[in-house]
Amino acid sequence: MTKQFVFKGASQMPMISVSLGHMDWNKTGAWRAQRPFYEDKTSPCSAACPVGNDIVGFIQKITEEDFEGAWNLIREENPFPGVCGRVCFHPCESKCNRREYDEPIAIHALERFVSDFASNLNKKIRKGPGARKNKIAVIGSGPAGMSCAYHLAKLDYDVTVFESSSLAGGMLRTGIPSYRLPKDVLDREISNIAELGVEIRTGIPFGEGLNLDGLKNYQAIFIATGAHRGRDLHVPGGKGRGVFSGLDLLKKINLGRKVTLGDKIAIVGGGNTAIDVARSVVRLGKKATILYRRSKEEMPAFGEEMVEALEEGVKIRYLVNPIRIQQKDSLHRLECLRMELGEKDESGRRKPVPIPGSNFFFEADNVIIAAGEEVELFFLPKGLEKREGIVLTQRDGNTGARGIFAGGDLTSNQRTVAHAIGSGKKVALAIDCYLNGKDSEEALRQILTGEGPSISMFRYLHPQERLMNPHVVTFDELNTDYFEPSRRQRETKDLIKKRIKGFREITSGFTEGIAMEEAERCFSCGTCVGCENCYVFCPDASIIKIGEVLSHQVDYDFCKGCGICFSECPRGVISLKEEAR
Amino acid sequence: MKKMEIPLSENLGHGHLACAGCGAAVSMRLTLKALGEKTVMIFPASCWSIIPGFWPYSSIRIPVVHAGFVTGGATASGVRAALDIRGDHETVVAVWAGDGATFDIGLQALSGAAERNEDFIYICNDNEGYMNTGTQRSSATPLFAWTTTTPVTKPKENPKKDIMAIMADHQIPYAATATIAYPEDLLRKVEKARSIRGTRFIHLLSPCSPGWRIPSEITIKVSRLAVRSRVFPLYEIENGISYTIREEPHVVPVKEYLRLQGRFSHLTDLEIEVIQENVERTWERLTRKASLKLK
Repeated sequence: MTKQFVFKGASQMPMISVSLGHMDWNKTGAWRAQRPFYEDKTSPCSAACPVGNDIVGFIQKITEEDFEGAWNLIREENPFPGVCGRVCFHPCESKCNRREYDEPIAIHALERFVSDFASNLNKKIRKGPGARKNKIAVIGSGPAGMSCAYHLAKLDYDVTVFESSSLAGGMLRTGIPSYRLPKDVLDREISNIAELGVEIRTGIPFGEGLNLDGLKNYQAIFIATGAHRGRDLHVPGGKGRGVFSGLDLLKKINLGRKVTLGDKIAIVGGGNTAIDVARSVVRLGKKATILYRRSKEEMPAFGEEMVEALEEGVKIRYLVNPIRIQQKDSLHRLECLRMELGEKDESGRRKPVPIPGSNFFFEADNVIIAAGEEVELFFLPKGLEKREGIVLTQRDGNTGARGIFAGGDLTSNQRTVAHAIGSGKKVALAIDCYLNGKDSEEALRQILTGEGPSISMFRYLHPQERLMNPHVVTFDELNTDYFEPSRRQRETKDLIKKRIKGFREITSGFTEGIAMEEAERCFSCGTCVGCENCYVFCPDASIIKIGEVLSHQVDYDFCKGCGICFSECPRGVISLKEEAR
Repeated sequence: MKKMEIPLSENLGHGHLACAGCGAAVSMRLTLKALGEKTVMIFPASCWSIIPGFWPYSSIRIPVVHAGFVTGGATASGVRAALDIRGDHETVVAVWAGDGATFDIGLQALSGAAERNEDFIYICNDNEGYMNTGTQRSSATPLFAWTTTTPVTKPKENPKKDIMAIMADHQIPYAATATIAYPEDLLRKVEKARSIRGTRFIHLLSPCSPGWRIPSEITIKVSRLAVRSRVFPLYEIENGISYTIREEPHVVPVKEYLRLQGRFSHLTDLEIEVIQENVERTWERLTRKASLKLK
């Protein structure tokens, strides 16, 4: 017999245990042995940038198609993105973590893209009607002087720049040929600085028409007169007719003055000036041969420019040193010795040693000496301490004389555009500290990017914003499983035939599409871009979102400290620390 | 790198009892996001008899029926029938069973339900052993792995059972593999399963930090390497015939997957080679099936 069960309502059904309460009372955070937390860190590119650009920041703006935002970020630190994007030796790219993965990001090209974009918009920083504070004099309108003037003007100082030449720009104008840096790019960036209320007075050489007495009305003075004198070769005949200094020749060409040269030009030296001279004279229809006393590996000129020079027909003869220049009619005979490489010298490069009896002759119509540049010291005020050809200063640019600061090529042997711009920025900050009775050494320490020497003006002005751990993110700290190999985008160059016809710029910048593609390759080391891996993979739903946006907060009531967010963060933004017991 | 878009709804609540870094907790959280609120889940005995919490509490915010070890397929069939009788054809019935309850103990009930093409989603949360009871071997434990019942002096001698092939041969409408390192793939497969009627089977690989002897922060990494080494390929089978394999461009030697895990730390180079050969053979068999066309 079977019995049929009929339930009249739920009360008659058999008992079954039901869980209706939640588990939120169970604070699993108590299990935690290590605590994850969000902490933006420093990218190797920014730490390596002598100018102090927020490189990851502006590249991320490019990925968001916010080119104006990128421009604004760059301009917080650097008034010369168009210049740097073209002529900087980009140490940022040498330190780029992507180099260890496939190829570094083309940071210089992205910087140039942003500046070109802004110029097309006719985008300029306008000065607000802020009351002017103290008067500052800047001597020299090169990258150091103009960078200092720019930052001081933004700090509301009344800045006057004195320039000995008829046009502002210093070495940017007289030393860099326009096929690398078109004059309109330079003019635009200088006029952007002038727009901030910086007065630029040209044709006033310091030490002649102008001296310290004439600057008594200024509360601080920044001397950045550069290193414009070509170094002598110190060989017999080295100062004869038809033997020129490379810097002087470049200056003439760059200022559009008449240059008379024969057909066959010998250039002595191995730095960027030698390459610039050689490529310039090729553009004037001459044959250029560089004579360098060491080998290719020791050449201080930047690699890419050497490649371009060779493409354009410049010849380079290595391990050759002129010991005498003889002149016969209009022809020069360089008596040279062949060299071999010996022990390393103080520069860390192998020293060239002459091979006895290897003398030979090299003939040329003109000889250009490009064996380095020196600081002209005679016109500088007395009391400045000098050593080994440069002016000595404290770390902040202070010369020891009250209110007198110095920077740029004048005070350093690291003579690059980027170092000069960074030096001017540092002095602007030091002058602000000096005039406000603040400790500049301490201020500088506070705003280092990474371990320095790169500094951030943004952090000087906004100490509580965009906080960042100075730790520089290494390649091993990234989770590269989230990236795909991709090719670095390259700027297009004119055909060689077209290049050597004149002084037009030879590289074309990125299009918007290419720039965004290249920016997309950036690992964004140390800076959260909101990929949300931490949120997606958290087993304990303890990464807090506010609405749809990541809050960068961890719910420590429930986070068990497994560390998944730490290891799945592609860019090393999340840190772990041991919980106190 | 694109941002991953996953639903915001959280149906795995706080306070659950999974170990730190539990791969299955990630699996559950993602699966619940894809299944949505109108779902009933059946839990045969497993870690998930414990993890949600104890009576009268539960951290899972949808109805759950705890069921006997063997009964996943049968209980789901019954719950489905009861819902259908009440006219509720919308609520999804899903089984969340471990590999023990799927490969071994509940295989009969699952096979029976699949043969009847019962209308539910069967999710096998595979952590390759009886982890809840302290790491004993199951037929999902891989070749040469250490467990407490297959000690290093005599590690497991048999390769893992091919549960996907078994389910495919039931000619069910949908079967798929998925794992936590590929959340978008996992969500898409669960959502796809939801849109189909009949027996659907999802094989989820969930690395287990204590059972696999791995640090808690690398469960996702190990899951990713399982796919990249082709130990656990990601694929779908429709109607037991039509295969779709997700081609993973970053193939790595199986050694990279094994060397992270303590349960494989005793392996000799020769044993690793045997595993590598096994993986290659299985991959070849799978790709051959995928390219099979009816004449």
